[in-house]
Amino acid sequence: MAGRDLAVSKSVHDHSHDSAGDSNEPGYFELMEAALRELLVEKRYFGADEIRRQIEVLDSRTPALGAQVVARAWTDPAFKTRLLADGRAACEELGISFYDDTRLIVLENTETVHNLIVCTLCSCYPRPVLGLPPDWYKLKPYRARAVVEPRAVLAEFGTIIPDDVEIRVSDSTAMVRYLVLPRRPEGTEGWPHEQLAALVTRDAMIGVIPVNLPAGAAR
Amino acid sequence: MSKPEDLVRKLPNDIGGDPAEQIERRERDLEPWEKRCHALADVLDFHKIINTEEKRRGVEALGTEMIANLSYYERWVVAFTNIAFEKGILSPGELAQKMDELRSRWTC
Amino acid sequence: MYLRGKAGTVEAVIEPIAVDNEREGYGRNAGTRRHYYRLAFAMTELWPEYAGSPADGLRIEVYETWLEGISR
Repeated sequence: MAGRDLAVSKSVHDHSHDSAGDSNEPGYFELMEAALRELLVEKRYFGADEIRRQIEVLDSRTPALGAQVVARAWTDPAFKTRLLADGRAACEELGISFYDDTRLIVLENTETVHNLIVCTLCSCYPRPVLGLPPDWYKLKPYRARAVVEPRAVLAEFGTIIPDDVEIRVSDSTAMVRYLVLPRRPEGTEGWPHEQLAALVTRDAMIGVIPVNLPAGAAR
Repeated sequence: MSKPEDLVRKLPNDIGGDPAEQIERRERDLEPWEKRCHALADVLDFHKIINTEEKRRGVEALGTEMIANLSYYERWVVAFTNIAFEKGILSPGELAQKMDELRSRWTC
Repeated sequence: MYLRGKAGTVEAVIEPIAVDNEREGYGRNAGTRRHYYRLAFAMTELWPEYAGSPADGLRIEVYETWLEGISR
């Protein structure tokens, strides 16, 4: 195993989980990542530029992309139909490419159904369209509890769903990823696309909160 | 967990439905090395050198103690090196040597 | 896995067929491909003491080899 072999011969570096800012010395795992990457490049498994390019791709993926998809679905019923039929293809229509083999299923919140997404086994998340997930999504409390007590979990986010609305929890496994299409708030009729998109947050597309109007919004 | 077979049937990542605490709404930006690690994972998956399922299984295989004590990307990088050793992509000795080399390069 | 032995309904068949993710975990990126099925489970079926609404449910994709048909 990696840990044992390496600790024997090399000095142990103090590593901090939280900050690289403490000193100029790299942490143990940071060194391991760099060493692994350099060796793989040296052995021609891939080019160094591929890593740089993928970092750029990761940096370019944020919830703003998902918000574009949602705003478009709210205003274009034909697009919404296509989106619900094949999430990935519809995103690609908007120029959001997928850099992996995953499929996207978009879950529509309605008057009768509220959707919530989770990955109990790891941290599957629709990264191509939302960017990287927040810590809480990847940690045990959310992953363990969302499938067994979704209403209590939602309440912790300040979201209360009436009992006559079905809560549907989708557990991401294998190569399917989910995105929640939240309900369009009342009072947004006629709003321009960008103004609608600006309302849509990452957490609404995970399903833990609804889309709200900003406090004091008037039209 | 009463029986040894329970440890086999329910692996450390299999936590759906387990009791757990309140959700702490933690957010933080990734360290630069963590982002490099994530990019590495994507490139490895793309080339099918180490695919996403292998990474997942590799993290699971670290066992409860490592999973509890290593952070998210720390688990990924250890899983990657273990799988790389298993596949004969590189040896522990090569990795140790390279880490030494980098350590002196970065701290001088 | 919390689903073992539980009864659900098939909501959708995921197309196209794909590799078994369990085997993929061991580096088998190719090989026999079968379907994943999107299954629906009632929360009350999964958790005997479920406290939310009886209408609440779970959806999950499962590889064909894990499923056993039951007649009702």
